[in-house]
Amino acid sequence: MALHAVDIIKQEGRRETEQFQRDKLHASVRAACLSVRSPEGEAEMTARNVCDAVIEWLEEKREVTSSDLRRKATEFLTTFHPEAAYFYKHHRLII
Amino acid sequence: MISSLAIIALAALIHASFQLSISMLTLLSGHAIGAKTAHAKLLRLTTGFLLGVVVMTLLVLCFLAFLFQHFFGTSAPSLAWAIGCGLVFGLGVAVWVFYYRHEQGTSLWLPRNVARYLSDRTRATKDSAEAFSLGLSSVVAELIFIIAPMVISALVLIHMTPYWQLAGIALYTVISLLSLVVVHGLIGSGHKLSRIQLWREDNKRFLQFAAGGGLLVLGFYVYVDQVLSATAFASGGF
Repeated sequence: MALHAVDIIKQEGRRETEQFQRDKLHASVRAACLSVRSPEGEAEMTARNVCDAVIEWLEEKREVTSSDLRRKATEFLTTFHPEAAYFYKHHRLII
Repeated sequence: MISSLAIIALAALIHASFQLSISMLTLLSGHAIGAKTAHAKLLRLTTGFLLGVVVMTLLVLCFLAFLFQHFFGTSAPSLAWAIGCGLVFGLGVAVWVFYYRHEQGTSLWLPRNVARYLSDRTRATKDSAEAFSLGLSSVVAELIFIIAPMVISALVLIHMTPYWQLAGIALYTVISLLSLVVVHGLIGSGHKLSRIQLWREDNKRFLQFAAGGGLLVLGFYVYVDQVLSATAFASGGF
């Protein structure tokens, strides 16, 4: 699924803006799935589905904040893999 | 002697209810499993972390006991006990008020930039030596809270004979690590981190209440046992 360039505003502009990278999102979702001990195939498929859903959501947007992107990815991940979604959502709130 | 060991055991139990090391171990395991690290390497990392916590706990406790023995000899004055109790009471209330942040997850009182730094270091940890030093730093980072039970234990230790001192130090270290050992065991036996984290989140208020309450109980007991009774004896009331 191809997508026009979308800017990701990080930490409300406190860090440099960067372009959306599917691979980066894919890796983070996959890691969250693996962290809750999902089989690799399931983790790959879930990450692919979440990336597709996020890209569809991004289609009419020029820029989004990283927290919105994360919130949306969590929302989609919840439908595919609730346990991984919990870990994905909370991993920054563990310490 | 039994009462001294009981005080050390209670102080160590309170220490065990503090959560920074457990949070860091959970995060370390999460990143390692997410990066498809082999199970043997995951165990090496978590064991390295655990050893780091053991070593730093031993070092801090021995240092405090050495310091107190140097200044007070084998019997701490009532003033030292009173200061220790004040510290325990103050931190007990502080634990109740702000140990956990009022937000989702299990985020702790730490300033956010320190938490981010620890989180980034945890993510970057790839070998056992790094995990060991991460374990050392987790104890140092939480020193502001664990100093209270450690001070009381160190004050108790200096009253003991050398062999009992060793037993007391071992008892404190073993009990204070129980919660970490349990989490280490759960991760090692293949339990899902999400379940462990969910349990921690569901029970965080209880753990906070237990840690704060435990500190107040410890402070009250030690104050009565070491300060009030000593004053009463000194004034000839008993």
